[in-house]
Amino acid sequence: MQTPSAGKLAAIALSLLVGILALLVRRRVALPAAGEAGYAPAKKKRRLFMMLGVLGLWLFSGLVLGLFRVERETLEVTISPARVELLGISTSTSVIVAWIVIAALAVFAILVRVLAIPRFQETPRGLQLVLETAVGAVSDFTKGKFGGRRNEALAAYFFALAALFVGSAFVELLGLRPPTTDLTMTLSYALITFILINYTGIRKKGVRGHLANFAKPNALVTPFKFLSEIAIPISLACRLFGNMLGGMIVVDLVYMALGAFSVGIPAVLGLYFNAFHPLIQFFIFINLSLTFIGEAAE
Amino acid sequence: MTDIGMIAIGAGLAVFTGVGAGIGMGIATSKAVDAVARQPEASGKINSLLILGLALTESTAIYGFVTALVMIFTMGR
Repeated sequence: MQTPSAGKLAAIALSLLVGILALLVRRRVALPAAGEAGYAPAKKKRRLFMMLGVLGLWLFSGLVLGLFRVERETLEVTISPARVELLGISTSTSVIVAWIVIAALAVFAILVRVLAIPRFQETPRGLQLVLETAVGAVSDFTKGKFGGRRNEALAAYFFALAALFVGSAFVELLGLRPPTTDLTMTLSYALITFILINYTGIRKKGVRGHLANFAKPNALVTPFKFLSEIAIPISLACRLFGNMLGGMIVVDLVYMALGAFSVGIPAVLGLYFNAFHPLIQFFIFINLSLTFIGEAAE
Repeated sequence: MTDIGMIAIGAGLAVFTGVGAGIGMGIATSKAVDAVARQPEASGKINSLLILGLALTESTAIYGFVTALVMIFTMGR
């Protein structure tokens, strides 16, 4: 830890003082009831003091944390993450982080099943409402696009995939590299979709019927159809990988730019990049998967 | 020209796919706005169709980005 110079020490003390004073003054500004005359200016004043207080405390935390930093780092981005040795097999750290995410989700699921579900009531409230909305949304969407009696498993698989995507992105808030930024991970998810497409085709039409699909309308188009069949999982994988990697690079750049002052701001960015963006990408993923599965079934 | 210079130029050219994606997404958004202005009660459906179309169109730009990244990180040595 470096000893701060006199100017920096004065800045630390000043920012702490301004922060705490502003919050204390904010408490003393009285807030009349909602309809009365002095409401709007009082609220504005309170908001001003709150912003001043938060700014002061943020500067204080940034300056104090800056004392512990050694030097400015450069931005290091690699396509594939670091590998470790696990029982003699070289595994990448993405796999280990994915196991952690799976374990956390499994524990959460077991807790919900054992503790919360027996207490469900007729009219949902709270956690039950959230769960029912989420599961209902995915289930209705899946059944709407590719309806049938046997699609409980498909809807359950897609919900699990959504939980995995969002869970993987959350891990970035803890500083680890999310597994979906690894091309091999996204390629595995796309390969499962590819297997589902072919399995549905073969089950509905038999092996010969499914392969005869490649020769419509004319036998000359067979190589092009094969190529577009192969392009489907590759495009799914690359789309997800590129989006997640781009988000991770932007957040890394923000961390590097703010340096020691990155308290709170990356969390706000994380609200977009680690919650909303993966959900949209997941929505696209299952939309395309269901479209191709439905196409293979007719 | 050095090797790394060519790699840099190649990576820069690879990201040009963003131009087509940007133009396409702009046209799609303008048509969506026209449709909502014509019939405001269909705005929910138009919204979800728009998001789907935008995310799909963006994928060509992402392919170029991924190609540039692979170029930069694996062709260096």
